[in-house]
Amino acid sequence: MDFRKCSGFFLFAGIILLALLLPGCGREVQKTKLRMVTNATFPPYETIRNGRIVGIDPDIMQEFCKRNGFELDIENMEFGALIAAVQSGKADVAASGITVTEDRKKKIDFSIPYTSAHQLVTIRKNSGILANHELKGLKIGVQEGTTGDVYVKENLSEPQRYKDAATAIQALLTGKVDAVVLDSDPSHVFVRKNPSLHLLPEPLVTENYAFAVSKDRPDLLMTLNSSLQEMIADGTLQQIIERNKKENDTSDTGKAGQTGVWERLKEDLRVNFVAESRYLYLLRGFVITLLIALLSVLIGIMIGFVVAVIRSTADQTGKFQLLNLICKVYLTVIRGTPVVVQLLIIYFVIFGAVDINKIVVAVAAFGLNSGAYVAEIIRSGIMSIDRGQLEAGRSLGLSYSRTMCWIILPQALKNVLPALGNEFIVLLKETSISGYIALEDLTKGGDIIRSQTYNAFMPLIAVALIYLAVVMLFSKLLAVLEGRLKKNE
Amino acid sequence: MSKDVIFEVRELVKDFSGVRAVDRVSLEVFRGEALFIVGPSGSGKSTFLRCLNLLEKPDAGEIFFHGKALGKREKELNAYREKVGMVFQHFNLFPHLTIRKNITLSPVLTGRMSQDEADAEAEKLLERIGLASKADAYPPQLSGGQKQRVAIVRSLAMRPEVLLFDEPTSALDPEMVGEVLALMKELAQDGMTMVVVTHEIGFACEVANRMVFMDHGRIAEIGTPDEMVNRSANPRVREFFSKLLAPR
Repeated sequence: MDFRKCSGFFLFAGIILLALLLPGCGREVQKTKLRMVTNATFPPYETIRNGRIVGIDPDIMQEFCKRNGFELDIENMEFGALIAAVQSGKADVAASGITVTEDRKKKIDFSIPYTSAHQLVTIRKNSGILANHELKGLKIGVQEGTTGDVYVKENLSEPQRYKDAATAIQALLTGKVDAVVLDSDPSHVFVRKNPSLHLLPEPLVTENYAFAVSKDRPDLLMTLNSSLQEMIADGTLQQIIERNKKENDTSDTGKAGQTGVWERLKEDLRVNFVAESRYLYLLRGFVITLLIALLSVLIGIMIGFVVAVIRSTADQTGKFQLLNLICKVYLTVIRGTPVVVQLLIIYFVIFGAVDINKIVVAVAAFGLNSGAYVAEIIRSGIMSIDRGQLEAGRSLGLSYSRTMCWIILPQALKNVLPALGNEFIVLLKETSISGYIALEDLTKGGDIIRSQTYNAFMPLIAVALIYLAVVMLFSKLLAVLEGRLKKNE
Repeated sequence: MSKDVIFEVRELVKDFSGVRAVDRVSLEVFRGEALFIVGPSGSGKSTFLRCLNLLEKPDAGEIFFHGKALGKREKELNAYREKVGMVFQHFNLFPHLTIRKNITLSPVLTGRMSQDEADAEAEKLLERIGLASKADAYPPQLSGGQKQRVAIVRSLAMRPEVLLFDEPTSALDPEMVGEVLALMKELAQDGMTMVVVTHEIGFACEVANRMVFMDHGRIAEIGTPDEMVNRSANPRVREFFSKLLAPR
């Protein structure tokens, strides 16, 4: 597996463009800190073990820092964002098993290659396929944006693109595709775990991995290259690679050969949740998901409240025309664009040059997004209140704002409580895209487990059950609250 | 006449998208009188009344309150409305607040009374209309007649100089009309200045000091009930009353 050549940047294309327009790209060389970015879902090159990012790439960079007096600072993010991060100066170097391609060379500089890898073809034993050339015209599964994706598309047929390797293998097992093209390391693990699969002997394509450095940093590139040459010469590089491959082999990805359904299930549960304390990814992710959802909904309600009041006041009294216009633009833009795009814009463009906690970014993005929907919910609530209420308040000498505050809004909020509760449920699930900025929320926690155990089913089901439980619990609470408020009627 | 003029309305006009609802109406309201506005449906009575409280913004004309033209600023408007209470056809009680809170909300928020004073006042007012036991109930738990009586004392809690009634019994079941009219009569006898729009002609004749007959947005006739009902020269007025007061 290898996301490498990757024309799968389309989602980021606009954002990168905007990021480039922003000033503050060319940062000074930091003598002490070297900021490395990686996508830690690619063992043995990089993976998360016991909460730390480990693997060949981190080890090489660590060695490089040691030799040159830097301090290493690793940040985990989506693979598709790595090049942009280096280009925009958010990071000094991207080290993530990145394949050297002509496309990428236009955007960044590559170090000398430090290793090469093969793309292998996995098939079902009973498929009758014997060699690579027989693949033409067959249905082939790949991981989206990888070298395999590009190679199959250019040389064989339009591939079936899956988000991760485990899903692609699942598709092969259930007969949805005839073959799967993946990086050699995961391919071996899958075949070991699934006796009904095997590998074609010849690699489909071989590629070189190198580190990516900004074109504005020839000094860093030179230092990096000479260090790499030293490491190759003195054998350090080879040592690092072999040590990590061995460690990866001892990583608990489950034993093969359980026959009974019950034994299989028990082993799957053990591997995905118990082994290497993997349940912690779900637990930590769950806390982060809940934190983001709760803070976002608070911000959303605050924004929505203010916008709704401004809009209603403008409609009813003709005041605040300018503010009303701003609110309308806000509503149109937020409701007219996908939340994932908003999240990425806020992360890469608005907070592009700032070092900021990703939870803050996510809360800002989801809060801003939710605010637009909450605003319309509350406004509909305000409009649902009989005009006589406003007139009664005013005729008693209360100002418009007091009438709003004490008479209209309490009733409006009560009317829209179910809709607000629903908005929270939607928001809670929407936060599952936090993984796009490499925030380890619940969904991402499941993804990390999948990337380690190569099991598509268990982590996904576990994640789904946790979301479901939270939503059901919250719905119950909401029903109780509504019941209490109804008592007064 | 040396009567104390509270309202003076001059040439008031109100249009609704091209239709003239109130057409150059001029009128004086004196302290302590019960002025009843009657007339056929759609004659502009309610609109005129709502203009007095500026719930509708007049398109032309002037309203003087104690000889002073009404200001346009929000603050002046609020101060004015504190002195001019309004009772609505549909009561417009605040359904999310208890009866007591309905009554005390405005006096407390506008700084006229402390919460304790307002609570005492509310108790007195509820006592007067025999609903003291309902102080902690919510409006949806009351009958229509009870709601309207609470709405009236809610206005009274602000100690207004004038009370405007906009068809206060039109939304009530017939058996509840009596209790509301009784309260209004009591207020009139106590000397409260009242401007009432109503279809209860019998009641109007009994309580009114003066009656105003409106037709097509204009004042067709002003006079005492006796002048209006029995001695009008205006055929429209005669027709209206003969239909309504004909022996059944």
